[in-house]
Amino acid sequence: MEERELIGRVLAGDPSAERALYDAHVDRVFRLAYRMAGDIDRAQDYTQETFIRAFSRLGDFRGEAALSTWLGSIAISVTLNGLRKVRRQNEREISLDDAAPAVRGAREAEPDLKERLNQAIDNLPAGYRAVFVMHDVEGYTHEEIASSLGVHPGTSKAQLFRARARLRAALADFVRD
Amino acid sequence: MDDRFDDLLREAAREYNEPPDIPRDAMWERIVAARQEAERAEKTETTEREHTRVIPFRSFRAFRSVRPLGWAAGVAAVLALGIGLGRLSVPATPPSEPAHPMAVKPAPRVNTAYELATTEYLSQSETFLTLFRASLRQNAGNERLAAATARQLLATNRLLLDSPAADNSKTKLLLQDLELVLAQIAQLSPQSPSRDLDLITEGLERAAVMTRLRTAVPSGPSTTQGAL
Repeated sequence: MEERELIGRVLAGDPSAERALYDAHVDRVFRLAYRMAGDIDRAQDYTQETFIRAFSRLGDFRGEAALSTWLGSIAISVTLNGLRKVRRQNEREISLDDAAPAVRGAREAEPDLKERLNQAIDNLPAGYRAVFVMHDVEGYTHEEIASSLGVHPGTSKAQLFRARARLRAALADFVRD
Repeated sequence: MDDRFDDLLREAAREYNEPPDIPRDAMWERIVAARQEAERAEKTETTEREHTRVIPFRSFRAFRSVRPLGWAAGVAAVLALGIGLGRLSVPATPPSEPAHPMAVKPAPRVNTAYELATTEYLSQSETFLTLFRASLRQNAGNERLAAATARQLLATNRLLLDSPAADNSKTKLLLQDLELVLAQIAQLSPQSPSRDLDLITEGLERAAVMTRLRTAVPSGPSTTQGAL
């Protein structure tokens, strides 16, 4: 079924079309939410909220971009807002005593590249991490990222460049080896 | 060397937070349930509204004295609101047990503050969108300033969406629709095709954003109007 036809049927209130639209896009939305959140419960919450918002605003979708790009912009907005909320909550809850073991450098054994890379990505500023995950991990184009984040493609490229530079600096000893 | 590192990085990064099996059916059931719940709530709200007094729309004449040069003052007012909200979202003191079990808890002043901040924000947004539409009609060429102001409003919008102000489903929905419009304006530049402007106007009208904003903002002067 054509995307336009599917949207028309959803807007007309056809439940099977709603499910078909969900099935066509849920994997991509969930993957992005999970990559960003790293937590199954939060990824499910963000995916659900993305589709709830999408269904309520589908009438506003003009079709200038692909539906997947439009959904991506809702998904990244929901996810970044959700993660900001979690971060603020954590900052309030962690007391000084609890914070000590959470310091990343205090591990006994030197982690391998994969673990170091994961930590370095986790530590990127939210905007850099979003662009890095979308481009280098999930394979979005700069145009899709720009459209999703409401920035110019050039900004997306610059953010990716800076994200990689930070990762390169964080993994400097591996680079030298 | 850098290219080699980037390739290595991309390869290793594919395993970053690798998603598990996707619980499609479980999520779908929750989506359906949440939408049915929202529909029920909306019906109840509509019925209740029909039995209560309707807040009158603010007169359009209130904006007659607004001049394009006043936009800079508007931006300053928006910035001040954003900073105020940022302060509200940082707890003044860490949560602790009351000193005495009989100690009286203070009244929830923060929620009232959020409500006031939301009303002020919606009032500023209404003023901004009114000016924006007026400048479109006059071909005033204020795209850069409009985009900058929209970005400031967008930042405040996101703070409010993360705050207790969004606990009210109606406010939340309005903030979300407003977010979409502001995001479009934030991307404007003097080179933007006129089609983009038409789409923004259309979006405003279709979602009845202005009407809903005016309904949400109680009539009477606001501090933004004073600033402008």
